[in-house]
Amino acid sequence: MSTDVHTLSGAYAVDALDPREAAEFEEHLEQCHACREEVAELQHAAALMGAAEAAAAPAALRSRVLDEVERAPQLPPRVASLPSDPVTVPGSVVPLRRRLPARGLLAAAAAVVALAIGGVLVSDTMRDDGVPLAGGVVQVFEADDARSVTVDTSNGGKVRVALSAAEGQMAVDTAQLPDLGPRQVYQLWTVVGDIAQPAGVLDDPKTGASMGLPAEGTKVAITIEPMGGSERPTSAPIVTVDPADV
Amino acid sequence: MGAGPGLRLVPSDGPGDVDGLLVRVSRGDRAAFEELYDTLSSSVYGLARRVVRDPTRAEDVTQEVFLEVWRKASRFDAGRGKAKTWVMTIAHRRAVDAVRRSESQRRQDHHGAPDDVSFDEPGDRVIRAEEHGAVRECLETLTDLQLESVRLAYFNGYTYGEVATLLDRPLPTIKTRMRDGLIRLRDCLEGAR
Repeated sequence: MSTDVHTLSGAYAVDALDPREAAEFEEHLEQCHACREEVAELQHAAALMGAAEAAAAPAALRSRVLDEVERAPQLPPRVASLPSDPVTVPGSVVPLRRRLPARGLLAAAAAVVALAIGGVLVSDTMRDDGVPLAGGVVQVFEADDARSVTVDTSNGGKVRVALSAAEGQMAVDTAQLPDLGPRQVYQLWTVVGDIAQPAGVLDDPKTGASMGLPAEGTKVAITIEPMGGSERPTSAPIVTVDPADV
Repeated sequence: MGAGPGLRLVPSDGPGDVDGLLVRVSRGDRAAFEELYDTLSSSVYGLARRVVRDPTRAEDVTQEVFLEVWRKASRFDAGRGKAKTWVMTIAHRRAVDAVRRSESQRRQDHHGAPDDVSFDEPGDRVIRAEEHGAVRECLETLTDLQLESVRLAYFNGYTYGEVATLLDRPLPTIKTRMRDGLIRLRDCLEGAR
């Protein structure tokens, strides 16, 4: 990233960057608190300028909007940064051994939003597909039917992974991952084929993470990312776990 | 909030607890959503019409914006700004996307002829917005280049590269003028409250 990236805040605030630059700048924003503040302030100024153009909307529009909203589901709260588009994982994700059922991709996307970090539940919100959000890490490991496995990571640590069909959950115990210091974080991804979706940043690896059971063919990978996490993996995974192997 | 059918208040920039409304909307509260619509629809529609120009398309953009607000209300992060700013940022992005989509469609239809680039008359609409005197006055404190850079990007949906070409200035200059222009606007508006 160029050194004068900070000066893009104005152009970004008025949506004057092309999509590639905007994506790069957003990555930068995740790591730059001062830049986020500046962007927020400049967007606020721009919004006031936009609001000064206020004009009464046609009355018929109101009922169209309300009708549409009547039929539209809402997204659940975000528990970690989520991109809107699938991205490709660079590096060494093992190809799938079996074909993915058609609904697998949808389920994988759902699994992403279902992930709760640190076993802390956001709420009992139902997702679009009606599946409740995930339970805690400990319950999964302690479930009567829990299957678990410990896997070495390429950076010299270990993760424990547990699945419980009864709980409908998968949990990851990341307490044995090496400390990364203040500038990097571990980030979880759900991976289908070579498409990775961010599934959450481990703000505190000691607490682990849990999620709804991934669909068949969905793996879970962990990468090391800059503070705040990334929208797409910037390094090869330190570990990739296929729930079918647990 | 709204009056009877067919008679809707056009809110000015009134305080209205938009942040509180959005929190309720994130929990599926449709009454709060209606109130949010009544509070912000004129701002959203007005901006959309200014950017996309065609009233019918401005309606479509407005509809998209409020649907996105409904769907993503839970993603609003109060730590990153005000709810109204969040909605207006979505509105601007959607409007600019609509302009760029139709522009690239038009270019395909015309084999890339770079014809008929539309400039606003300097200061036309901004100056007309009497009820938003503070914004108008503050925009007048910007240098000509700051004002043109910000307005061509914000209201015409141009990228900063396109603005640089139109104004025949180097890219870094335009990038910087957009930033310091907005900073000046921000500082002036803060001082105006």
